[in-house]
Amino acid sequence: MNAATEITQAQLTGRHQADETAPVRIAVKDLNFYYGNFHGLKSVNLNFHDRQVTALIGPSGCGKSTLLRTFNRIYSLYPEQRAEGEIMLDGRNILDPRIDLNELRSKIGMVFQKPTPFPMSIYDNVAFGLRLYERLSKADLDVRVEESLRKAALWDEAKDKLKQSGMGLSGGQQQRLCIARTVAQRPEVILFDEPTSALDPISTGRIEELIEQLRSEFTIVIVTHNMQQAARISQFTAFMYLGELVEFGPTTRIFMNPEKRQTQDYITGRFG
Amino acid sequence: MDARNPMPATIEREAAPVTGSRVRPGRRVADRVLVVSSTLATALGIVVLGSILLMLIVEGVKGFSPALFTEPTPGPGSEGGGIANAILGSLILTSIGIVIATPIGVMAGTYLAEYGRNSKLADLIRFLNDILLSAPSILIGLFVYTLMVRTMGSYSGWAGGVALAIIATPVIVRTTEDMLRLVPGPLREAGAALGAPPSVVIKSITWRAASAGIVTGIILALARIAGETAPLLFTALNNNSWFSPNLMGGIPNLPVMIYQFALSPYPNWQQLAWAGALLITITILALSIVARFVIKSERAR
Amino acid sequence: MAALTEQIALTGAASGSPARKTPGGIGDQLFRLAAYASAILVLLFLAGILASIAYGGWPAFREFGFGFLTSSAWNIGQEQYGAFVAIMGTLASAALALVIGVPISLGIAVYLTQLCPGWARKPVAMTIELLASVPSIIYGMWGLFIFAPLFARFVQVPVSNVVEGLPIVGTLLYARVPSGVGVLTAGIILAIMIVPFVASITRDMLDQIPTVLRESAYGIGCTTWEVVRHVLVPQASVSIIGAIMLGLGRALGETMAVTFVIGNANRLSASIFDPGSTIASRIANEFNEADGMQLHALMALGCILFIVTFIVLIIARLLVRRVKVA
Repeated sequence: MNAATEITQAQLTGRHQADETAPVRIAVKDLNFYYGNFHGLKSVNLNFHDRQVTALIGPSGCGKSTLLRTFNRIYSLYPEQRAEGEIMLDGRNILDPRIDLNELRSKIGMVFQKPTPFPMSIYDNVAFGLRLYERLSKADLDVRVEESLRKAALWDEAKDKLKQSGMGLSGGQQQRLCIARTVAQRPEVILFDEPTSALDPISTGRIEELIEQLRSEFTIVIVTHNMQQAARISQFTAFMYLGELVEFGPTTRIFMNPEKRQTQDYITGRFG
Repeated sequence: MDARNPMPATIEREAAPVTGSRVRPGRRVADRVLVVSSTLATALGIVVLGSILLMLIVEGVKGFSPALFTEPTPGPGSEGGGIANAILGSLILTSIGIVIATPIGVMAGTYLAEYGRNSKLADLIRFLNDILLSAPSILIGLFVYTLMVRTMGSYSGWAGGVALAIIATPVIVRTTEDMLRLVPGPLREAGAALGAPPSVVIKSITWRAASAGIVTGIILALARIAGETAPLLFTALNNNSWFSPNLMGGIPNLPVMIYQFALSPYPNWQQLAWAGALLITITILALSIVARFVIKSERAR
Repeated sequence: MAALTEQIALTGAASGSPARKTPGGIGDQLFRLAAYASAILVLLFLAGILASIAYGGWPAFREFGFGFLTSSAWNIGQEQYGAFVAIMGTLASAALALVIGVPISLGIAVYLTQLCPGWARKPVAMTIELLASVPSIIYGMWGLFIFAPLFARFVQVPVSNVVEGLPIVGTLLYARVPSGVGVLTAGIILAIMIVPFVASITRDMLDQIPTVLRESAYGIGCTTWEVVRHVLVPQASVSIIGAIMLGLGRALGETMAVTFVIGNANRLSASIFDPGSTIASRIANEFNEADGMQLHALMALGCILFIVTFIVLIIARLLVRRVKVA
């Protein structure tokens, strides 16, 4: 057993255990995804449990981001991309063309690789998503903005400059602002697409702590390149390779006792 | 329920909301309005271009005949004739313009990209060149009138050519500089490392690497000046007959011919104006499309 | 280090070894000089334009003083000249062009970047950009022979009938002679001419906005309108204003198209349906027959146009750093 796994083992101990009895929030059934003629996801079946962090890992191009992007159908911005199969959320198939995309996206929030503050003040960045779906009085809005910034662990740093542009914050603060913006809408699920890949180690640590806290309220799916990160913050891990789901299970089991050879090779750093 | 059940039931917490319940109707209306109005705006642009082309073809083709290309413009109120003198005049004026503008434009663009780079002077020239690029062309006509027509005492093809050159130059300067800046630095360094002096590196390496882009700039400049009318009004003017080879006096040319004939009361002249307009528009659209393909084939390489 | 290399080159040349041709030397210096001179020539063009019209217009400014700007006289017999009518015509037609052209341009840019199906993007964008290369005289002919008759019949006559006698709109929108030509027609033709410029620059600016910002706006459930209104346009706002200023610069100085459709009247009218004239159209119409003080007055008009457009263009270029060749 090599060094990489040993680190992993150290990290796995004392972490919250996966709750396999938690109800299923998102159920993916026989999902296929195409970029034009390229078959990006091949018959994926997977359940995401309520109030658990599920990490999607695998080498570049394995389809983990593609899978994440089907949950809020952000891929539908690009006409050549299409998904087939079922993704059940609240008893409805979100791939159904009759689904209202704006509403779907208010229930499934997403945080991107790079921080994406909108060109407006910190306050307005958070209030923006709220105003889309709720008519709130100024006082209620203030309360919700504060609550969201607190949940994103940004309140203390931002409370004195709420009227300043969101662009003026540091990279890590910007990313937490994006999390606050997402949280403000009170979604059911939050998708993280490599949220720390553009950040320094200290900012990364804060985001990871934050994800751990957010788990008490939201179902979280996170795509990450960093296996230690997956081990540190997730309860469930799905390993993907070449568009297929290779193995899925509680993070401890995936990292300690993978069933498949490919998973073993990947987490011990033999490829990827 | 078995506590270790690996496949728990999917949540059916709240009844699935009816589509649109959380999205206020006002938001949908605003979105619809945007989609409809921006689609209409684009359709309008296409309809206008289509209508212009249709008008030119319907009116212009009627005037096409062999005489159009062999006979000079007729006198007021007379029948027949062509626009051969204006076509030849336009070819000569545009050629003078591009022959003067090309070396100046390419050399100035080379200065900005290779020598001046980010010096204060280069920044100033770059900025003013961009302004010259969109300066009203009629003012350039006034300038050349003062500079050449007043001093030489007569309208001339030379003055017209110089006016067109001043319009073409900034286009060539701009594209030349942009294209030279796209040439990777290591290519220049490799040349310099062989002991080649800057001028040799520029002439035999950088220019060659950017040649397609520079040619595109020259074609774009050609397209720009081929239809320019305002600066020719006071420089080359126009003339209803053939002209002398020394290019002194009014030199017939398509744009000013079109302007004068289209606004004249004679149906024959108006007919010739339409034919000229069709000819000039086809030429310019063809040049613009060629310029696109030159640059595209270069990028594909 | 550079000095050292130079020294080596110098000693090499000085020793005059006949077997080796020195590659630098005169040719290199000449080339550099030629490049420098050409660049300076670009400056001289601009300086020459200003100097020539300032010189030509000076007698008119001296004769009429500040009153040249505020007088609406244009009497060739009595040698009385004022720029007011032409200035107002220029500003009014350019303002109308922006009011009409800017929303259309933004609409096209939004359509091309957000709504257009992928296969249609390039042909549609190319069609719009080809509009930019159509010579202005063709727009003039289109405006006079195709657009003006339709405009007179379907807009001027019905609108004039409706608003006749009403306060304000009855003045603004009443056509004494519904011929189709006038300040509004000029504004509409100018709007069509600036659309390709403003639309293509705006499209480029919207395209440069990182995809992830756009996705994250859609990601919180925004509609296309909300993404455009709250995220994309504010993000590109400075450049879009610059693009609009470039369009304004073009509208102010455009000559031929306006000359065809504005009616060329030296009369101050409050109605945008009435004929008028702009600085450029006045110069185009009268310059060749002008003499004496009239010539100076036209040059002085050119000088005013120079100053106004150059201020607009300087602001535009400061806002839009390096747009592609228009």
